[in-house]
Amino acid sequence: MTEVRLVVQRFDPFNDVKPRMTEYAVPKREGMTVLDALLYARDYLDHSIGLRFSCRQASCGSCGMKINGRPRLACYTQVAELGEERVVAQPMDNFAIIKDLVTDLESFFEKHREMMPHLIRADTQEMEKPSAEYLMKPEEMEKVLQFTYCIKCGLCTSSCPTVATDSKFPGPQALAQAYRYLTDPRDEGGEKRLELLDDAHGVWRCHFAGSCSFVCPKGVDPALGIQLLKRHVMSGKAPRKEGEGAKLWVAPAPASP
Amino acid sequence: MRESRLMLVQYATAVAAVALVSVHLIMQGVIYPYATAISFNNILSIYKNGFYAIFLEALLVVVLVHGFNGVRIILNELRQTKPWTAWVDAVTVLAIVVAVAYGTRTVILAVFGGGPV
Repeated sequence: MTEVRLVVQRFDPFNDVKPRMTEYAVPKREGMTVLDALLYARDYLDHSIGLRFSCRQASCGSCGMKINGRPRLACYTQVAELGEERVVAQPMDNFAIIKDLVTDLESFFEKHREMMPHLIRADTQEMEKPSAEYLMKPEEMEKVLQFTYCIKCGLCTSSCPTVATDSKFPGPQALAQAYRYLTDPRDEGGEKRLELLDDAHGVWRCHFAGSCSFVCPKGVDPALGIQLLKRHVMSGKAPRKEGEGAKLWVAPAPASP
Repeated sequence: MRESRLMLVQYATAVAAVALVSVHLIMQGVIYPYATAISFNNILSIYKNGFYAIFLEALLVVVLVHGFNGVRIILNELRQTKPWTAWVDAVTVLAIVVAVAYGTRTVILAVFGGGPV
């Protein structure tokens, strides 16, 4: 039986001074993902390996880590596709380490929340107790669709060179979501959003390295969203003002017999 | 000033700098003989041309604003405290004013004298 040499970065901030690399020999099988290999190592070789996972199908974004130097989802990366017998698993960059491969995503989610990732509208009563759907054309949906695929795994943020130096920079995930809601025809909070983004540590600190789009496992292009967002911020004009958002869909009256 | 306005200045000065530096290099490399382009007397004679003196002053302002604003952006990414940002902004404005004033002084001295031609 062939084996894969799984190298895991181990670090416990409460007990260790610096990270160390530990190697495990894991029996290789067809279709094995890096998460499978890590779980085998944890179940049969070393119970103390710290890792986070949940859905095992690239939907929850929990198992983001650096695999052979590149941010990836462990459940979405097959050992065979790496083309190497040695698989190195490290925690994501730009995040504090909780233990081993588990990183602290608190600031990441805080920045996501700061972007107000929800529809802002004047008709608050309708928002709380919906009576119908808001109208949205297919071409309008197309503009925002890819950004709705974000699973908040943090891979884009871990690959961003600006996040590495500027702790106040919202990061590609949050900015892509800002664009997603700014351009959503149902949203009326454009002015608030633009004000938030036009900051010394805001959208302008993106230097378009493009690494966020390169590593996204869901095919989202945050770099594109950020550049389009810059155009809106530069013009200073919100796409819609209060009361100009998508209207409610009214069912047509039944045809008379 | 809003960050978007500062970035608009940054982009505008970048485009202007490319255009002005291109013209400057063409003037130095093609119109004036390259061998004498940086000789003292040749440079003084260039400044005597009022149009070219204004051109060089514009080049000075554009390049300095673009350069110092770029340094401001880099410094703001290094630290994220409000006092640091305020300090960087103030020093940037001061540096631009001082550098433009010193450069302008050189242009004026060259236009109205500046030694033997």
